[in-house]
Amino acid sequence: MARGVMLVSGGIDSPVAMHYLLRQGHELLAVHMDNRPFTDDSPLAKVVDHLTVLRERYHQPIPLYVVPHGSTQITLMRETDRHVGCVLCRRFMWRSAERIAEREGATFLVTGEALGQVASQTLSNMRSATASVHLPIVRPLIGLDKQEIEAVAKSIGTYEISTRPGVCCQAVPDKPATRSNLVQILKEEERIDVEQIIDDCVRKAVVL
Amino acid sequence: MYRTLRLCTSGGGFEAVPDPPRKLDLARIRTSLEHDGVSVVDARVMLIAALGSETTISRTGRVLIKTADPRVAERVFQQLRPLLTEDGSTA
Repeated sequence: MARGVMLVSGGIDSPVAMHYLLRQGHELLAVHMDNRPFTDDSPLAKVVDHLTVLRERYHQPIPLYVVPHGSTQITLMRETDRHVGCVLCRRFMWRSAERIAEREGATFLVTGEALGQVASQTLSNMRSATASVHLPIVRPLIGLDKQEIEAVAKSIGTYEISTRPGVCCQAVPDKPATRSNLVQILKEEERIDVEQIIDDCVRKAVVL
Repeated sequence: MYRTLRLCTSGGGFEAVPDPPRKLDLARIRTSLEHDGVSVVDARVMLIAALGSETTISRTGRVLIKTADPRVAERVFQQLRPLLTEDGSTA
């Protein structure tokens, strides 16, 4: 079986995506991009509780990397076009996950993305976001609708955790672009030192 | 004019939204808060202030106070209210 790195948010989708891969016997590490101060403590608390459930269910250690992401968000807000903020943010998430995967000998990345639920999940935005990495990306939930995902979350015991109160991401722009092109995104990234930011954030990651 | 403070949709805090929308001078608000000893993170399009509860002040005037306690939220909002004008005049 293969070893992969999963981006986990604390939402309903990511533990369900993990469940599908873990039950096949794949080994997973989790990466949570810590978005404070643009959210509160609840996403991280949810992620920790999700992993407790999944570790017990599948008898896997599932190490959790918590990568500080708040300072990156501040840089993006100050230096780049807000409309594509979500895409730029996702690109940093992917690159951080890939950096950790390379360090840990993982050969693929995983996400709980479904198509079209939020601005970052339109096809064009997903394409712009994932163009930042080279490892293959697995999306176990791509063909499921929201009701189906919720049903699985309830059956594995993560739904109640996911739906606890919390502050959603305050860094989301008022009018996020639902379409982007890579030329535009790369131009925005020229305004900032991408590699330095990723190096810094991954270096400061805490493993739980 | 701000609508009443209400629980935000995800239930993790209380928000206040101006009606009609307004454009805040965040630099002025930041200066005023820091003058009062409040720690402020400046993300250009919003401020995050360490008031009684951590509070986000958006350039559009929206305020989000990260607490589940309505009394704390009200107290923080009233503390902030005098600053939430476009030009520094009394709110």
